Amino acid sequence: MESFSLLLQGLSTAMEPMILLYALIGVTLGTAVGVLPGIGPALTVALLLPVTYGLDPAGSLIMFAGIYYGGMYGGSTTSILLNTPGESASIVTAIEGNQMARQGRGGPALATAAIGSFVAGLIATLLLAFLAPQVVKLALTLGPREYFALMMLAFVTVSATFGDSALRGLTSLFIGLALACVGIDGLTGAARLTYGVPQLMDGIETTTLAVALFAIGEALAVAAMLDPPDGMHRVKGSVKMTREDWRRSWKAWLRGTFIGFPIGSMPAGGADVASFLSYAAERKLAKHPEEFGHGAIEGVAGPEAANNAAAAGTLVPLLTLGLPTTATAAIMLAGFQQFGLQPGPLLFVMNAELVWGLIASLLIANVMLVVLNLPLIGLWIKLLSIPRPWLYGGILLFATLGTIGVNPSPVELGMLILFGVMGYGMRLYGYPVAPVVVGLILGPMAEQQLRRALAIAQGDWTTLISTPVSAVLLGISAVFLVVPMIMRLRGRGQVLSQVAGDAD
Amino acid sequence: MKHTILGVAFAAALAVPAFAQDYTIMAPANPGGGWDGTARAMQEVMQAEGIAPSVEVINVPGAGGTVGLAQFVADSAGDPTKLIVGGYVMVGAILTNASPVTLEDVTPIARLTGDTEAIVVPAASEIQTLEQLVEKLKADPGSVSWAGGSAGGTDHILVGLLAKAAGVDPTKINYVAFSGGGEAMAAILGNQVTAGVSSVGEFQEQVKAGTMRLLAVSSADRLEGIDAPTIKESGFDVVVQNWRMVAAAPGLSDEQKAKIAGDIEKLNASAGWTKMLADKGWANTYLAGDAFMTQLDADIAATDTVLRDIGLVK
Amino acid sequence: MSEGFPSERRPRWAAFLIAAVLAGLAVMILTDAAGLKQDGGYAGVGPADVPRLIAYGLLVLAALTVVSGLKGDLPKPPRQAPAPVLWIMGGLVGQLALLHVAGFVVSGAILFGMTARGFGQKPLWRNLLVGFALAFVIYGVFDRLLKLNLPGGPIELLIFRG
Repeated sequence: MESFSLLLQGLSTAMEPMILLYALIGVTLGTAVGVLPGIGPALTVALLLPVTYGLDPAGSLIMFAGIYYGGMYGGSTTSILLNTPGESASIVTAIEGNQMARQGRGGPALATAAIGSFVAGLIATLLLAFLAPQVVKLALTLGPREYFALMMLAFVTVSATFGDSALRGLTSLFIGLALACVGIDGLTGAARLTYGVPQLMDGIETTTLAVALFAIGEALAVAAMLDPPDGMHRVKGSVKMTREDWRRSWKAWLRGTFIGFPIGSMPAGGADVASFLSYAAERKLAKHPEEFGHGAIEGVAGPEAANNAAAAGTLVPLLTLGLPTTATAAIMLAGFQQFGLQPGPLLFVMNAELVWGLIASLLIANVMLVVLNLPLIGLWIKLLSIPRPWLYGGILLFATLGTIGVNPSPVELGMLILFGVMGYGMRLYGYPVAPVVVGLILGPMAEQQLRRALAIAQGDWTTLISTPVSAVLLGISAVFLVVPMIMRLRGRGQVLSQVAGDAD
Repeated sequence: MKHTILGVAFAAALAVPAFAQDYTIMAPANPGGGWDGTARAMQEVMQAEGIAPSVEVINVPGAGGTVGLAQFVADSAGDPTKLIVGGYVMVGAILTNASPVTLEDVTPIARLTGDTEAIVVPAASEIQTLEQLVEKLKADPGSVSWAGGSAGGTDHILVGLLAKAAGVDPTKINYVAFSGGGEAMAAILGNQVTAGVSSVGEFQEQVKAGTMRLLAVSSADRLEGIDAPTIKESGFDVVVQNWRMVAAAPGLSDEQKAKIAGDIEKLNASAGWTKMLADKGWANTYLAGDAFMTQLDADIAATDTVLRDIGLVK
Repeated sequence: MSEGFPSERRPRWAAFLIAAVLAGLAVMILTDAAGLKQDGGYAGVGPADVPRLIAYGLLVLAALTVVSGLKGDLPKPPRQAPAPVLWIMGGLVGQLALLHVAGFVVSGAILFGMTARGFGQKPLWRNLLVGFALAFVIYGVFDRLLKLNLPGGPIELLIFRG
């Protein structure tokens, strides 16, 4: 009850006009920078953090919260409209979202992303406020073997749902897994596939691969189209969501939230994994699975809710244990220090007022985000009416900006070009590009968790099924792997692949 | 709107006075890490204290800092405005990655800060002292799983040194490398591993809250305000400090070196730096000149030996 | 699917090419893995094991791709215009080559201008000018204001550092 009154107190402070203005500025800046393709939330927060210096603590705390949520949200806009996700957590948003945009339904896609992010942010922030200590206790019972099992589940569910050809989907995934081998092996320090190039030692940067495959590959493919379909991207109908859209979205928002928050809270989880799982769940549960790959709104609503909920979930280990589990969280940690917040198990006891101030700020920032972005949807849609030469020139300039700003080495830019061409080639022959990035993200996680689990158990493979959580997760994975095979044998797979048609 | 922004940018660029020297500090790591933090702290204090009118930080991440180091040597030779932040981890990374560029190729200026390492066990563990942990290690090295940072990093080196000092074959240690401090800490808190190694600062809050037990610290003397013996006291001759330093470009004249060393000394003596270190919880381990060079050479030699013992360098 | 002989042929050859690339990738991984110290430590799974597994997977996929190529079930790519692709590639390569020599603004202008040209916008000089203006604003905002370090060249030095 005491926490509740502290929260109310924080909220009432945050309701002052000046504070609200700071929240608005933070959200605007965060969205504006986060929306640029190639500039993910970590870079957004790092760039904008200094803007908050020099304000009074309450003001800078709320502006900071606004930047965080704005940066997390911003990525979805370009994913949907231009098929160019700037970060790994909005990749699956691009799959359905861009299909919707191509059919002129970019408005509802953006709306379901914005409202979904709001709903998820609201619920997840409240969960953070009231359940953080309990959630973190649960998260800590998970170790490498459970994470390995979770990664297996992610692999199986995700690879079963990408694209319309199992062969091409799997090929894409394996290309991603192969790319994931590049770099220093985390457990032994052995250099794999680096060929003596120091820039390859840390492996292939996810952002570089995602930006290249999506932004550059897309630009090349669109430019090379001899006769672009007439009226592609042209907005048809309302930019608002229809009653049907709402009906199909709200469950996906809630499911996304309840997938995203716990996975974000896990020290080895993350917003990208959460969004993959949410997409897979929506696809499995959909009444019209044939719509997936052709602009199913659930496929936007779920993952967008999931990645925002995961963003709030990330704050659970950060605040309660001082554990930064993502790059964004590591930068947030540096930000907290300027407010004298020392995250750790004693934070909620020692700095109660600041913590509740932060949580109140996050709630306000979340409201501001939807207030700012719903009316802006009309404006974002207008992006698409920019003549293509200027639009794609700008996209490529921003897409390379992120890479240049973080790591301006010729090797990195060379990879950008190489993977861009690869993305173009894959589009030509109907290979989905998202699984490549999924493989790059999940591959090393799965490998390292497996080897850690085995090292701890001194090579005893039964350790993988020795806890209920890992056994259940691996069991579900096995079911997901086997059942579609049986269905395929019965011939249902052919029907499915026929209706799935020719999505890219 | 754009005009105002650009206007501000212009004004900021033009407002630079000409007398004191500008610096560009390279943090050879991603934003958010220790080196980046050090570089940005230097930036803030040097600007606030008027030591340098404008300080820029650039990040060149990769391979334990060796990517940044190579680029620094190639691009900055003879340029007295370029600095690079580095540290003990870089010493190890240069050896394990067989980096063609080493610390010999730059001009080390001073050691600035350092973290003491700590060995902890989960609160639920039956192990109470470092001696008990080492007993277990001696009896069956594989049964003691150590959680720490990247392979060949400071944490790994500490475990290798401890094993060697205790008469255990360092290649037999069961070191489980985790990426980043967060995941390793979660594994320790979750009682997934036998013991954990990281900097004292990372564990401090947990130890205070009673979720971890601090067995020993790696400094030469006991740390103020921390109730734990040193590893040395427990009978194993191991002292490790995860220090961070600043270095200048190669090929500088003696005057240029002196100017930079003077500026860094000013930084170290400033009230702003003292406050910054206190805020960040970093120890001031300032060491410059010949004393630093001697220490550096000794550290490199010792690291080389232990990495060979662990089997990471051939 | 009704464009006659050449278009039915193309996907097949493409399938063989894709299979060859996959197999090549697998061979690269296997060769590299052979050179790694096979030290699994207490895990028993060393740094070369997982890459090997992935390489075997790639080989299987390459074989399946050949089979699907023989059956001809690779989607037929729509007809492509090569010129735009070359323009954009030229822009990207130009940016890469000039970034550290001419700075972010000039190389960005080249990328923007050539991309716009690839999308059919003429004349090129006007595209370059627009690109220059945009890259200039980006440089001002990100490098000067937000302190994102972008490589500077003569122009950036001249304008921003007096």
